[in-house]
Amino acid sequence: MRKTVNILVASVGGQGGLTLSRVIARASVLNGFSVRTAETLGMSQRYGSVVSYVRLGDSVKSPLFELGEADYILGLELVETLRRIHYASSNCVVIVADEYKPSYAQSTKYPALRTSDLVEKMRLVWKRTLIIPARKLAERAGSVRALNMVILGAFNAVANLLSRVSVESAIREVLSDYAISASLRAYELGFEYAQQAR
Amino acid sequence: MALRSDILASSGTRVPLMGNEAIARGVIEADVRVIVGYPGTPSSEVIMTLQPVSKQLGIYAEWAVNERVAFEIALGASIAGVRSMATMKAPGLNVASDPLLSSAYCGIERGLVVLVADDPGPHTTQTEQDSRWYAKLAKLPMISPSNPQEAKDFTKIAFDISEDLGIPVILRTTTRVNHTISDVILGEVRKIQQSVKLVKDEARFVRAGMTWNLERHRWLNSRLKLAEDIAAKYSLNSSIGYGDICVVTEGIAHEYVAEALEELGLLDRVRVIKLGLLYPTPRRFLAENLAQCKTILVVEELDPFLEEHVKIILHEGNIRAHVYGKYSGHFPLEGELSKNLVKKALEDVLRGSTSSSFSEERSPLSPQDLPLRPPPLCPGCPHRFSFIALKIALSKRGYKLSEVPVFGDIGCYALAVYPPISMLWTEHSMGASISMAIGAKIAGYDKPVIAVIGDSTFYHAGIQPLIEAVNKNVNILVLILDNNVVAMTGHQSTPAWSLSESGRPLRPVNIESIVKSTNPDFLATIDPYNLDEMISLISEVIDKPGVKVIIAKHPCALLERRTRKVEKKYYVNTSTCKGCRACITATGCPAIIMEGNMARIVLEDCNGCGLCTRFCPYRAIKLLQGDSA
Repeated sequence: MRKTVNILVASVGGQGGLTLSRVIARASVLNGFSVRTAETLGMSQRYGSVVSYVRLGDSVKSPLFELGEADYILGLELVETLRRIHYASSNCVVIVADEYKPSYAQSTKYPALRTSDLVEKMRLVWKRTLIIPARKLAERAGSVRALNMVILGAFNAVANLLSRVSVESAIREVLSDYAISASLRAYELGFEYAQQAR
Repeated sequence: MALRSDILASSGTRVPLMGNEAIARGVIEADVRVIVGYPGTPSSEVIMTLQPVSKQLGIYAEWAVNERVAFEIALGASIAGVRSMATMKAPGLNVASDPLLSSAYCGIERGLVVLVADDPGPHTTQTEQDSRWYAKLAKLPMISPSNPQEAKDFTKIAFDISEDLGIPVILRTTTRVNHTISDVILGEVRKIQQSVKLVKDEARFVRAGMTWNLERHRWLNSRLKLAEDIAAKYSLNSSIGYGDICVVTEGIAHEYVAEALEELGLLDRVRVIKLGLLYPTPRRFLAENLAQCKTILVVEELDPFLEEHVKIILHEGNIRAHVYGKYSGHFPLEGELSKNLVKKALEDVLRGSTSSSFSEERSPLSPQDLPLRPPPLCPGCPHRFSFIALKIALSKRGYKLSEVPVFGDIGCYALAVYPPISMLWTEHSMGASISMAIGAKIAGYDKPVIAVIGDSTFYHAGIQPLIEAVNKNVNILVLILDNNVVAMTGHQSTPAWSLSESGRPLRPVNIESIVKSTNPDFLATIDPYNLDEMISLISEVIDKPGVKVIIAKHPCALLERRTRKVEKKYYVNTSTCKGCRACITATGCPAIIMEGNMARIVLEDCNGCGLCTRFCPYRAIKLLQGDSA
């Protein structure tokens, strides 16, 4: 029996963290995995802290996993990723966008942080961190909103869990028509970047 | 999220479905004809999933003005001969509880199921209400699924049980079932003969006759006695494993138990009794399966509901066993359970410790010290304008913000509680803003008192308190923040719409004319984007006697940007920005961020409202020219 893989997706509401976890869930089913996700929706989660759990394996029951049990942490934003870092298991790989969205509390604090400060902190806190220039790659793919799909590409390059066909069809099925081509391209760019970076 | 093709796929297909989507598929498989609800997290996606396919399937899937109306519609439809369902979050069942209790006495014609979604955590609900008590209170059967597959299957079964017993059935879920995506195997869509007819039967349907009521109560109790046998047909309860150590569990807690036992290598040492039928308690099933147990751990979220029932059954059956759970301190009374909490309790019980205190979760890493990120109002949110106008108007009239209470209500605008807006004093239950403001005035509070309520909340439960305020001549200012949608729960329709999500033509019911008909002392409608006008309007009326109603009408910015392109965008001119942060501290707009010593407007987040421009002392915020907007 394969060990269940635990993936935590950390993001700021509106960045597409839930879409990312749903694409993974969908692709996992296409790959024959048993899947569970947990997300908290509703309440205006826009610009708030959003976390979702994805678990895939042979027979998954609980939608949640515990602190110290994440095999992968996928971060769409640095602060939110640092906030959830204690979910990392000892072998966890953190794949995070070099994206900083200060909250109101952070924007009113002196001195203001820079993205580079957080990248440095991230590397300090967790060795196995892959920082992805996700905004740049998403823009190259045609839309900054495809940042989540860049991270998906990087994740699959590292984890090698989902067939390319399954991910592509999951993207086609989950995303709105107008976002599909940029999303597919973003996935590619993220995948290539992570392959070269490793 | 679910695709139309998933929801309609043929029996045997394996598709990823969220719990609520699985319930929606269950509704289709059970050939339900009428499903009505009021939006409420975590229950909303059931109706949302059905609406796009409802026309082709011949299902009436619509939002009602509130949960009580929704339930009564479903009851009426059931009595008229078609399978029907009402959906709501836990506090919604409180609203629907009056007709729910009476419905147990008249019973149903065709299956009637109420979905109530509880929220241990809580994630998005005002209380951690344990709606399982409603089953006992209303004397109605309640069943509870553990995962999306069961959510679908149990929905179907709930309708069968409802018809077998002739009474409504409550389907009770929790967030981790409603909002979990899982691979689900679809079942067959059954076509059920349903013919519409109404029978005149006063003893059954008229609750004004006390002799009838006594008789119906006897009837109800006799039906409930059959519940265990009838439920047994559907294998809702299970007992797996052997031995004298037992776990009794239900719902999502079962999934934590299964993984905890596996990790502890205890699968073959512990008997797991899983209940799908929560009420009436399956007495014989439990008595039989608990008879050999010496040690019983009850694993359930929120209140010790099962635990109390297990203890009664042990007492009745003269079974001597130690029961551990909430009363023994093995599990908390608040919050969600987790696999680790279950593991710890199992280890404690197996070690023989009769009391336990649950410990905090452990991790090799310490949590990073980071400021919290409560959800702010969205960029361009019209509520931000309304609250800032209120703030400025109160200051203009010489009031301190600390002396003018703002009674809030349920909706996005409650996010105004967070800095820098910080303008919300209360948020209790639907409609409470106006009523509580009345109370403060009647108590003798001599400064102005303000009630803030959204459009959908006003339709839901704000009309009656407004009638009360006018009728009693109370001096209050009521701000109705009308963004023309139920925004917080995912943009559902309101009674002001002319077309429903399912494509049904609607006749819009206008808030202004409702308010006008109550005859308040003052009524005006204004677009809060005209900030100066709104400031002067509030300043003008705040000290006037009587009920003043201002309707601040502007569509939800988030919905607007989805339906049409943002036409304007702003940017910060880096050569004039001094990094003073006035734009951020005045508005709290999340599209403006500090990067180093400079403010920056995140282009893709800006909704072009321009509110920030008026607070920049250096005029550094500029309209972006060209098509990059």
